[in-house]
Amino acid sequence: MGLTGLLLRAGAARPHVLTVAVPGATAVRLAAEEQLRRRGWPAALSPADADILLTCGDFAGPMAAAVTETWQAMPAPRARAAAVLPAEVASALDAAQATVADLAGQRVLAAETAGRGAARDSPHNGMDMSETPVGHMGTDMGAMDMAAMDMGGMHGMDMDMDGMAGMHMGGMGEMDMGGMVVRGTAMARRGPDRDGLRLDQLHLPLGPVLPDWPAGLLLRLTLQGDVIQEAEAVALAGGDGSFWDEPWRRAVGGERVTTAEASRRRAAAHLDSLARLLGVAGWEAAATAGRRLRDDVLAGTPGGGVRRDARRFTRRVGRSRVLAWLTSGLGVLDAADAAAAGVAGPAAAGGDVTVRYRRWCAEVDDAVAVLDDTSPLRPAEFGPPRGWAAAGGPPGTDEGQTGLVAVLPRLLAGTEFAGARLVIASLDPDLDQLPARAGAGHGH
Amino acid sequence: MTSSQPAPGRAMVTSAPLWSVLIVPVLLTAFAIMAVLGDALLAARAAGRPLLTAAAAPAAGAARLLIGQRRRTPAPDALLWRAGLWTVPAAGILAALVIPFGTVTASRMSVGVVWFNAMEVLTWAGLWLAGWGANSALSLIAGYRFVAQGLAYELPLMFALISVAAGAQSLDVADIAAAQSHLWFAVWMPAAFAAYLAGVYAFSFLGPFGAPAGHDVAGGVLAEVSGVDRLAIEAGRWLLLAAGAGMAVPLFLGGAAGPVLPAWAWSAVKTLAVLAGLTWARGRLPALRADRYAEFAWVVVLPLSVAQALVPALVDLTR
Amino acid sequence: MLTAVFWFLALLAAASGFMVFRVNSMARVTIALLVSFLAVGGLLIVLGLAYLGAVVILMMTMEMVIMLVFMIAYMTNPGGLTQMSMYHNKRASLSIAVGTFALLAAGILAVPWPRRAGQPPASPAFQLGQALMGPQMLTMVTLGFVLLATMVGAVVLATSRGRYDRFGDDLRRRSPDDPLRGGVGQ
Repeated sequence: MGLTGLLLRAGAARPHVLTVAVPGATAVRLAAEEQLRRRGWPAALSPADADILLTCGDFAGPMAAAVTETWQAMPAPRARAAAVLPAEVASALDAAQATVADLAGQRVLAAETAGRGAARDSPHNGMDMSETPVGHMGTDMGAMDMAAMDMGGMHGMDMDMDGMAGMHMGGMGEMDMGGMVVRGTAMARRGPDRDGLRLDQLHLPLGPVLPDWPAGLLLRLTLQGDVIQEAEAVALAGGDGSFWDEPWRRAVGGERVTTAEASRRRAAAHLDSLARLLGVAGWEAAATAGRRLRDDVLAGTPGGGVRRDARRFTRRVGRSRVLAWLTSGLGVLDAADAAAAGVAGPAAAGGDVTVRYRRWCAEVDDAVAVLDDTSPLRPAEFGPPRGWAAAGGPPGTDEGQTGLVAVLPRLLAGTEFAGARLVIASLDPDLDQLPARAGAGHGH
Repeated sequence: MTSSQPAPGRAMVTSAPLWSVLIVPVLLTAFAIMAVLGDALLAARAAGRPLLTAAAAPAAGAARLLIGQRRRTPAPDALLWRAGLWTVPAAGILAALVIPFGTVTASRMSVGVVWFNAMEVLTWAGLWLAGWGANSALSLIAGYRFVAQGLAYELPLMFALISVAAGAQSLDVADIAAAQSHLWFAVWMPAAFAAYLAGVYAFSFLGPFGAPAGHDVAGGVLAEVSGVDRLAIEAGRWLLLAAGAGMAVPLFLGGAAGPVLPAWAWSAVKTLAVLAGLTWARGRLPALRADRYAEFAWVVVLPLSVAQALVPALVDLTR
Repeated sequence: MLTAVFWFLALLAAASGFMVFRVNSMARVTIALLVSFLAVGGLLIVLGLAYLGAVVILMMTMEMVIMLVFMIAYMTNPGGLTQMSMYHNKRASLSIAVGTFALLAAGILAVPWPRRAGQPPASPAFQLGQALMGPQMLTMVTLGFVLLATMVGAVVLATSRGRYDRFGDDLRRRSPDDPLRGGVGQ
């Protein structure tokens, strides 16, 4: 026991937590992020990095399958935590931490996993499929397809040059290996590329378990190298009404809602989107500042200090020339296309990633200006953070989120991977607003 | 045109006995741990936590990685994958062998600057293999990102090293330190200093050059790694940063020279100062992407580095 | 001790050079070649030519990594998933290789090498530099510029979009018109 137990307990003092949220569980996710920030537990970026898997909301259907795959991909020592309400997060994390620190329990868990893995391995030619590579959290991909993607991944930069006909390496010079089966999995097929070459194609499902990613979104990519040739966007679940739009739903329903409450919710929504974008852009310090501000705004901290901090944050982000240089020209969505696709909210006015995040910064500034205004909310003038689908239309319909998801394939075709992640983060579709499907999981 | 031999005033740096090679990793790890600690303290302050909670961060992180299970992915090239991961800390330690600490150095090579450059270049091979060997799409993308980054940072870094070597008329690190008795090279070769510091960030893929381990690729080269392999590569980044900071002292900041304090104390103080600066500045910028800065690196930074290398040459000519 | 290191590095260089033709995966081929070059660099350092050795290590690592990228891109079987044979014309090439090795080994062992007279110079790198740049300064400067011009010219010729595509027919446009921003030739 000795040294192993000691190291286990020492490591469990600061476990890395992988948070997975289902659409509709935004409040739980926010509570989880705040808990992690207060405890100083880092957020894991991939299952390999995670000790604790924290699921926010009720999982069913394709989302549950994704969570199972993620769990299987996590190395020992590990623990699961499930929270369905925001108040449950703290106790779930404590219990999971205790599980991670328990040497006997971890040994039992490891033995079970080894037993199950051996039973599953046999139809797959002895390859250990339990360690799923990250990013392959596709829910409807069979195991064979996943391995095919892996083969394709290794050939990601292959090119078949007609001019190389003279080079015969063991007689395999010009063979198109697409469709050939090697070690039980298919080799990648080739497709044309923007440079006029033919490159191997990798079919990669992106999401639903990925850091700084809209909950419930699955993107099926056809990658050549790191350039996206085709993308197909699928919403895996819906939330039956967004957390961010709740004050407006209540106001339209007849309740008395103050402008302060609505403005706090709106500011927090944009700060959340900004924090995700900054996380994707690799500016972790600013992302943490944004999340801290978001938590302060939502917690009801009185105006003065929050307003000052928010202004400082939006100035820092909005005026950052480096960030603008990195993001300008990406994901240009002009207003006509946006209107045709039914996109509403800040993205509808058109522009590239830079314009969109600067618009968020401006809206945060506007919202924190009225952070203490107790007058009743006027929904027509002060709309929800992602806008109304039709002018003044009631929330509860999907308010343009299907539009944002529908516009993604066109925007992402031909972009490089990093650019694509920035584009998605700058649009930040909120799948909570989509109607929940039967058997697809929901939050509270 | 000068035709003299290298500078007659050889530095008072002695080469330590062979067993001192074992002390280098220990000392380097100590500096790396201090950098990790500083980083954790800064993160705690930014997140609004009490600072004391960050004190356990390095120990807890190392413990959980030591005890963690190593992962396999389907059909990796396991030999090359693990070789790539472990090359990163090895490169840091090998590069640090020529850094003088006080009046002692583990290896007094007459071409210490070239050795340092050669050892940090090993990260090119290490990171590409770490990215490709795992047979994972996001890991592969990150490995190639590092090679693209390498093309951009390496030449300005090499010209920066050439500038200081030309300024001291020697490739020996101790001679370069001794040649700054009048004025630090950081003062009259600032472009070289800036290119060098950017190179340190780049070869340790931290800070603005952290895209190979970035959030958008779920950790990049770190995405599929766990257990002691992950400890190796994560420690390797900080070891490389510490080695870079340690090398900045004799190359640009006058080495161990200074009043009052003994030589080793000045080495330690200056190294910690550079390390603190690098750790603090790490979070100030978003992660730069190669497709945006490649043009800037080749069209602006590289000619500037070449022009900077002319300055000590002209100074030598007119002396 | 130094002799042991010498023989170890020599055998490593030869063995990993041979492995280049035995392994299946292109990545392993290139890494085997890199190991061979690193061993040669180590040999040079052991022989007292520290500058040459360090430069060999530096240059060969960068070159092998760039070659890796192209090998993975252009060659079949980059991952080593299938069997592959890299031998061609086995009998003839084997006899030529063995014959050349025998000839060179015989030459090395049979030649009466002169005894060392005096001490090696204090700074071999300086001696090397002086030998190159002293009597041949003009040649080196010209060669340097020619090399640089060749490299720049090759890159410029390789891009499909020239100045006039990017900046307009009168070169008046303020920022270049690239499909992908960043100006990396796309």
